[in-house]
Amino acid sequence: MTISVTRRRFLECAAAAAVPMRWRLGGLPPPATARLDKVILDLGVNCSLRESVSGYAAVLGAAALRTDMSSKQPPRVLIVPAAVELPPPVVGAITTCLDAGGLVILESGAGYASAVKVSRQRTVLRETFDVHVEPPVNLWPRSGESAIPYVDFTWPLRAKIRDFSRVVPLTGGAGEIIACVNGFGVGLKCRFRRGNLIVLGSPIGPALWAGDDQALQWLLAAC
Amino acid sequence: MKKAIGDNMISKEWGFGRGLELIKRAGYDGVELWLGDMPWFQMSTSDADVRELRRTVESAGLVVSNVSTGLHWGSPLSARDPAVRARAARIVERQIETAALLGTDAVLVVAGLVTEEVPYNEVYQRCVEALKPLGDTAKRAGVRIGCENCNAEQRFLMSPREFWQFLNDVNHPAVGIHLDVGNIHDNGFAEQWIEMHGPRITRIHVKDVLRHRGRCGDQSVYTNLLLGDNNWPAIRAALTKVGYDGWLVAEMEARYHYAPDQQFFDTAQALDRLITGRL
Repeated sequence: MTISVTRRRFLECAAAAAVPMRWRLGGLPPPATARLDKVILDLGVNCSLRESVSGYAAVLGAAALRTDMSSKQPPRVLIVPAAVELPPPVVGAITTCLDAGGLVILESGAGYASAVKVSRQRTVLRETFDVHVEPPVNLWPRSGESAIPYVDFTWPLRAKIRDFSRVVPLTGGAGEIIACVNGFGVGLKCRFRRGNLIVLGSPIGPALWAGDDQALQWLLAAC
Repeated sequence: MKKAIGDNMISKEWGFGRGLELIKRAGYDGVELWLGDMPWFQMSTSDADVRELRRTVESAGLVVSNVSTGLHWGSPLSARDPAVRARAARIVERQIETAALLGTDAVLVVAGLVTEEVPYNEVYQRCVEALKPLGDTAKRAGVRIGCENCNAEQRFLMSPREFWQFLNDVNHPAVGIHLDVGNIHDNGFAEQWIEMHGPRITRIHVKDVLRHRGRCGDQSVYTNLLLGDNNWPAIRAALTKVGYDGWLVAEMEARYHYAPDQQFFDTAQALDRLITGRL
């Protein structure tokens, strides 16, 4: 019998096996000096979709949740669900992670935020990361009108994940569009300093929360 | 069992007082109040005015059977937009508050709405999550939330077992089912829903259904009691089996074209036949 498993997945499992059982069962946390693997940064009032946080936590475990990154070593993967405003400490955490060669998945929650907050997010993303965010677009403009409700992801694997009604189209100087819906680019991957930044203009956290298998596969493959 | 009918059956021209007189004369014990449907009972109606509504109902020799609302069709608990969900939760809270003020212990909630845009799995999860804290609020007020089976309209919780599992997942003693025996259409049999949900039934909406019409035509699928396809003797037997002795609330969607007051009398008499088992 052969088992198909990627090298990355094998190493993750092997690493997990090396973790003492009491940590895996939610007992003692890892030593503070150890580099965290994956962190979900809960922005609190600056997160527009709580269920997006719940979705990532359902996959990665509640132990991955953090509300503050100020005293932590940068993780290998930092996920910021349904972000609205990005205060300087959050931008600092993102850039620190990228400086350390990490991966950041920054999910925009601007589709469910006020115009003022959307504007502030657009400014921060443009000025800090050279990512251009357009104003939110409603994919379901009229009741009773049919639409194809899927965002097509092309990287790191092909996946169809349900749209979440409102998206923010994305463009970026040196970035690569990795997800589209209705002709809008809503997923962007770009190099930033030593790390990789993925910006999602259509949140996938709610799909994870609702148990969408392709959303799960996409997340596992991406990070 | 006791008989009630909705205040949304009262013509706006008659007004609340005259409508209550008619309901009493027709032989009902109570009236179901629809939050947001009628000018006398809105989200903006103050507590003092709600107390005045109760006095008016009781002066007419009636009581309030339960508080319903159609507002969740526009603001569902299952909406993707958190602002809409907050509005929906506030509607339920107001139903609970007014139920306590009106001296009743049940509210009707249209829990979730599946659409092309908002898929079933999301709706299910959101409703379960929303109903847990609302159940706590209801319990504190001595009220039970009855999630209505609006099977065809909601495209949600289509079978009795599915609904049973949903209530298991909500797992709250203050959250049950407001069973509408006319809403099952051709997806099942009301008596089986009654048998399966028994003590979880908070109230029963009563209307008859023409199964062959379905929902796609331009004619109403609903009709007057005893005129449609519901198996009323089986429904009556199931009510006896589970020991339901609560309110039967008439919800007549198809209205008389002439002599609208006559529908109150005819419906009350049909309910009497159901209650006494003379079918």
